[in-house]
Amino acid sequence: MVDAALKPVLDMIAVMIDATPHLLRLGALFSETVLLEVDGDAYYLVFHRGRLETIAYGQNRKTPWRFAIRTDSEALHKFWQPLPSPGFHDIFGLVKLGRATIDGDILMLVKNLRYIKEILAIPRTGSLA
Amino acid sequence: MTHQIEAICGRYVTVEIAGRTQRIYFEEAGQGRPVLCLHTAGADTRQWRHILNDGEFTENNRIIAFDMPWHGKSLPPEGFETEEYLLTTEAYIATVLAIADALGLENPILAGCSMGGRIALQIAALHPGRFSGFIAIEASDFQPAWYDIDWFHRPDAHGGEMGAALVSANIAPHAPQAERWNTLWMFMQSGPGVFRGDLSFYTRDDSLVANISRIDTAIAPVHILCGEYDLTCTPEDATRTHQAIAGSTLEIMTELGHFPMSENPARFRPYFARALALVGASGT
Repeated sequence: MVDAALKPVLDMIAVMIDATPHLLRLGALFSETVLLEVDGDAYYLVFHRGRLETIAYGQNRKTPWRFAIRTDSEALHKFWQPLPSPGFHDIFGLVKLGRATIDGDILMLVKNLRYIKEILAIPRTGSLA
Repeated sequence: MTHQIEAICGRYVTVEIAGRTQRIYFEEAGQGRPVLCLHTAGADTRQWRHILNDGEFTENNRIIAFDMPWHGKSLPPEGFETEEYLLTTEAYIATVLAIADALGLENPILAGCSMGGRIALQIAALHPGRFSGFIAIEASDFQPAWYDIDWFHRPDAHGGEMGAALVSANIAPHAPQAERWNTLWMFMQSGPGVFRGDLSFYTRDDSLVANISRIDTAIAPVHILCGEYDLTCTPEDATRTHQAIAGSTLEIMTELGHFPMSENPARFRPYFARALALVGASGT
């Protein structure tokens, strides 16, 4: 399944990355697939040198991914508020609240943490915070 | 553009700590009751820049902050190149007391943030009478790490950049962008292995839990401050700690995180003023 409201948001993130030189610089060495799972629906975010080149929808056991962020749509909605409530302001806050899990190659996430956090925060402002 | 020379004065003092010579950088401003300020893990004195530059605080208080050994402008000790930096409760206490003695502070207030708040409470418990009041900011008895501290010292990645990206989780979204990034820059600049060594103390040494009942607020008042956006020392952690210290006071700070004096100085200012007044210094 695909959340009709989520698809344009992810598309917008891809467009904004392309338009943001410092994100392309931060992500220059990041060429990985990230699994974003929302309400059990899978979104494979395929990055190449910092660009979000492909978004593949729907669970596919044949698609390898490096790390996964699993959450729910309500938590994501709160995460994307311009001034999120305590805990909803950060992906690790979602984890601490029990509203997200992160698994897979966590070190890869941490090595690229600023990049990942900034691209995930893009919907808060429709641009970069 | 007009030029402005700040009131902050920086100097060095050489002290002996556990048999080792340490050249310590400190900054101060103002006159009156000494208020010794401790920075967080992985950072330095610059976290206190706004308090040090606040004329209303420095009018009646001598605000002092110093860089722990290995941090900021305080060099590591001789022989550091083959040493694994791991801060301990004993070394941390010895450092704070050595600075207070070297600077001849009389009836000082101790204000510490994060690991600085933790050690302030340890000193309140183990060295009653050395300070006349304690302001423990983002401080708790103990909480284990929600991350792997070894992430921050690796040959294949920049520990400072990873540390900054991680601790950004502890900054409230209300922080002005300039101060958010000033705050993170200190973590980016932290020496290799230093943040990890601080976190070893902060996330593994739970000795304050056993000592906390020894704190006597009749000897020196204890005020605890905690930002509502702090994921590391949460308001629940601070509340538990407050409840374990009879006579202590607590204020949860809205729209602030783990680095309140640095991430959003205007928002933090009234909380710090109340804290100073509560512990007997000159508030504003």
